[in-house]
Amino acid sequence: MELNPPLIIASGVGGMGEYLKLIDPKYIGAYTLKTITLFPKEGNLPPRLFATQEYLMNNIGLENVGIDAFIEKLNNNQYEELFEKTKVIFSLGGDDAQEYKRVAQKIAPYEDHFEAIEVNFSCPNVKKGGLNILSDLSSLQDLLIYMRKVLKGFLIAKIGVEGIFVEQIAQILKDHAWNGITLINTIRGLQIVNDKVFKGGLSGPILKPIALRAVYEVKNRAPELYVIGSGGIMCEKDADDFFKVGADAISLGTAIYKDPHIVERIAKHIGRCYG
Amino acid sequence: MENFSLTTKNTLKVTENSFIITFNEKLDFIPTQFIMIETPSVVRKPFALGEWFNDLAIGVEVIGKGTAYIVEQKALKVHGPLGKGFVPPSGKGAMIATPACLAIAFDLHQRYDCDVFIGSVEKLLAEIPFEVVYGNDEFVELLESLSGYDWFYVVGSDQMEKVAFDLLRQKAPVYISFNEYMACGIGACRGCAIQTKEGIKHVCIDGPVFRGDLVWN
Repeated sequence: MELNPPLIIASGVGGMGEYLKLIDPKYIGAYTLKTITLFPKEGNLPPRLFATQEYLMNNIGLENVGIDAFIEKLNNNQYEELFEKTKVIFSLGGDDAQEYKRVAQKIAPYEDHFEAIEVNFSCPNVKKGGLNILSDLSSLQDLLIYMRKVLKGFLIAKIGVEGIFVEQIAQILKDHAWNGITLINTIRGLQIVNDKVFKGGLSGPILKPIALRAVYEVKNRAPELYVIGSGGIMCEKDADDFFKVGADAISLGTAIYKDPHIVERIAKHIGRCYG
Repeated sequence: MENFSLTTKNTLKVTENSFIITFNEKLDFIPTQFIMIETPSVVRKPFALGEWFNDLAIGVEVIGKGTAYIVEQKALKVHGPLGKGFVPPSGKGAMIATPACLAIAFDLHQRYDCDVFIGSVEKLLAEIPFEVVYGNDEFVELLESLSGYDWFYVVGSDQMEKVAFDLLRQKAPVYISFNEYMACGIGACRGCAIQTKEGIKHVCIDGPVFRGDLVWN
C-alpha cells in the first residue's frame, strides 16, 4: 500500500467521509470508513460519550447501515465524491465468524473501490464479534484463511491489546499472508458518570505509550507486515514517535475531534521530515 | 461548514456563572444551529449560536474547566454552523430559557413572533430585555400561567427542560433543545444519539431541537 502522506483517518471517527468537509484531502493518505457489519446496527443506547483532557470513552456500538444498504449506496454512487477526493479503506465487522465471512463475500466484488480492507477484530463495544473473535485462536485462523482466499487486495487486521499478545496475532497474520495490521483499537474502560457506570472504549492521549509498545513489538516480530500506528497521536511529535518504533503509516482518530486542522499540520510535518 | 476562529468582542457576566460572549465576526446561521468550540478536552463542545444586540453571540454557563476556558479566551477555534436549526411553526410562541441561553433567546425573539421568559435561580447581574422569574416555585407558577401560545420552545438544563415540558405539553407543542455529549458535531461519530419514538436520532444532524413528545413520554 502506497500512501502519500502515510496518514490515515481512523475508522469510526471519520464516519462515512464527513470530515472531508473540514480537512483538505491532499493531507489525507487514506480515509477509513465506519465499520460495516452484515446486518444494520442501531448502536448502543445513549449515553455514548464521555471525555476528559486525557481520553475519550465511547460506547457507540458499531452503528451502521449494514452491508446490503452500503453496497446499494455504493452502486448509487453516493460515495463517489469521497472516492474522487481520497483513497478509501473499507472497515469490515460482524457479530461472529460466519458474519465476517458473509460480509467479505459481499464486498469482494467491490474491492477495486478500496485501497485496502481493514477487518475490525477489536471493537470493545459490542456483545458479540469485535474483540470476542480473538478469544478462539483456532476459529480465528480458519477465519483468516477464509478471508484471505475471498479478498484479493491489501488486507489489514485492526487489533486491540486485549485477548492476545499483539506480536502473537501479528505472527498468525503473517503466516496467513495478510498484509497489514492496525495497532491499536480502543481499550475497554469504565468511568462513573453522574453516579452511573459508563463502559466504553478508551481513546486519546492516554493510549499512546500502550500503542507505541504494540507497534514496537509487532515490528520486531513480523517486520514484513505493514503496520499502521494508532492511539493517542495528537501532534507532530507523537507521529514521529510512531515512525521511530517502526510504523509504516499513522492513523488519526480522536485528535480530529479536538482540531481537524491537526491533519494538515502532521501531514506537512511528515512531508518535511520523511518526504 | 468551516473550520475557523472567532475573536471575542465582549464577555458579559449575566449571573455568577453565566456569560454572554459576543464576537467581532458575523456568521449566517439558522436559529438554534451551533458551533463546536475547542477546549482543553479531547473533544470540542457544542454551543448554540445567537445574537446579542447586533453581535454574533453564544451563551456559556461555567460548569467545569472547558467552559471556564471558553470564557477566558480572546480567540476560539471552532467549526460550524451545525445542526438543522429550528424554524418554529406558525403562530405566536413562547421561549423559556435559562440565563446561559440568552443569546439564542435574543436571536429567536428578533426573528419570530415569540415572547421570552427567563427562569433563574440566581440574581441577574446584567440588564436584559426579557421578563425574569427567580426561584423554582416562581418558575413553575410562570409555566402554569402561560396560555394562548401556539408553540413553546424550551432551552436550559436537562432537569429544567423536563419540568417545563411536563407543565406545558397539554397547552401546545413543546420543542426542546437537547444537550447530548458530542465529539464531532457533523454526524460522523454517532455519539450524540438519543432514543426517540422514531428510533435513534442524532442531536447534531437531526436536531438539536426536537418535539418533546417525540422523545419523552
